[in-house]
Amino acid sequence: MYNVAEVNAEACVAQKGCRLCIMYCPEANCIQLDSQKMKAVIVESRCKGCELCVVVCDAAKHNAIKMVAR
Amino acid sequence: MANRIQINKEFVDIMPQDYLDLVESGTFESPNRGWKDFGTATELIAEHSLCAGCPESIAFRHIMASIPNPEDTVMVGSTGCTSLVFPMIAVHNIHSLFGNQNAIATGLKRALAVRFPDRIKDVIVLAGDGATVDIGLDMTLQSWFRKERFTTICFDNELYANTGGQESGLMQKGFLAKMAPVGKRFDKVRLPEIARESGCDYVAIMTASKPSLVEKVIKQAVLIAREVGPTYIQIYTPCILEIGKQSMEGLQEMRTSEAPGERFKFREFISPEAQSFLDGLAEKKKAEKIAATT
Ligand SMILES: Cc1ncc(C[n+]2csc(CCOP(=O)(O)OP(=O)(O)O)c2C)c(N)n1
Ligand code: SF4
Ligand code: SF4
Ligand code: SF4
Ligand SMILES: [Mg+2]
Repeated sequence: MYNVAEVNAEACVAQKGCRLCIMYCPEANCIQLDSQKMKAVIVESRCKGCELCVVVCDAAKHNAIKMVAR
Repeated sequence: MANRIQINKEFVDIMPQDYLDLVESGTFESPNRGWKDFGTATELIAEHSLCAGCPESIAFRHIMASIPNPEDTVMVGSTGCTSLVFPMIAVHNIHSLFGNQNAIATGLKRALAVRFPDRIKDVIVLAGDGATVDIGLDMTLQSWFRKERFTTICFDNELYANTGGQESGLMQKGFLAKMAPVGKRFDKVRLPEIARESGCDYVAIMTASKPSLVEKVIKQAVLIAREVGPTYIQIYTPCILEIGKQSMEGLQEMRTSEAPGERFKFREFISPEAQSFLDGLAEKKKAEKIAATT
């Protein structure tokens, strides 16, 4: 089992300019901005499951990311 | 799209997607590249094997997004955790023997100036604290004394991470590590002050907690090294593994360590020559802005 991050598009406020998870994810090219829907999306194959994105998203009270088992 | 970074049409069908992405949506030759490209452009780092949540990865990402001319930059690395990332970056780089990085960079910078007299060629050293301050200290200092025109970046995690936690010159006094069980008896070496006294025209000490600050500092350091003299940046990239933190705690560790009075509070030294160079740049930018609006 391996934990990866998952974005709940309804709770994500990237359309309002939030880029916190994209800024702080330690892995390059791992969280992308879907420029049509204007939501953050995780590239699962690059995610190491560190949970830093959850920390920064929760700290801003968006609570849009959770870890899921794969 | 970039002009100089192109792919031979004959190879398009056999190159990996990551490579095609770099050519198509990388940020080579983009004049305003920076962390704001994250999420929409292809970054210059592929998957690597640093620990999950390692702040060295965060700092590396911010640096690779910020260097002003990646297509005309050669980086010099050394042994340590950073050497797990160097093979995965889309910028020319040389792996030096542990500690030799500033000597290699010296020869490289001089050779590039002879070979490409009409082209900008930036050299950036990026190495751990063990490489910069202990084993490579001679080479680090001598390059500054000689005013060699390149940037030295030290990823300061205050110990030898890659070999399991030995004492480093940048470790704090009293700190205990797995392979340094007695506790450090001496003070953390004051390398930023030594850098200033040794001839660096720009010195910064910081953490990687703010991408915009890393971007500003990296750009200044590379441009000053290009035009004025040697530059040095020391970035706290805590080894979460060795200090017993969880994978998601690296950012908070950096924030705590840069609070007022703490050892990584942001500090900057700019020589008068470097300051007048920066002032000139700022004036030019202002003039361009005015010209664009009128
Ligand atoms: C000439 C030489 N001496 C010693 C080593 C063993 N060695 C490999 S990594 C390392 C420590 C690296 O520490 P640092 O530069 O602080 O980088 P970090 O891993 O902490 O990022 C050492 C001593 C080596 N590879 N080559
Ligand atoms: S931090 Fe949260 S709200 Fe902000 S872009 Fe990421 S997922 Fe969306
Ligand atoms: S869990 Fe870590 S690696 Fe995965 S997306 Fe979040 S910050 Fe990135
Ligand atoms: S050992 Fe420490 S410095 Fe090296 S990758 Fe892991 S967390 Fe980062
Ligand atoms: Mg180290």
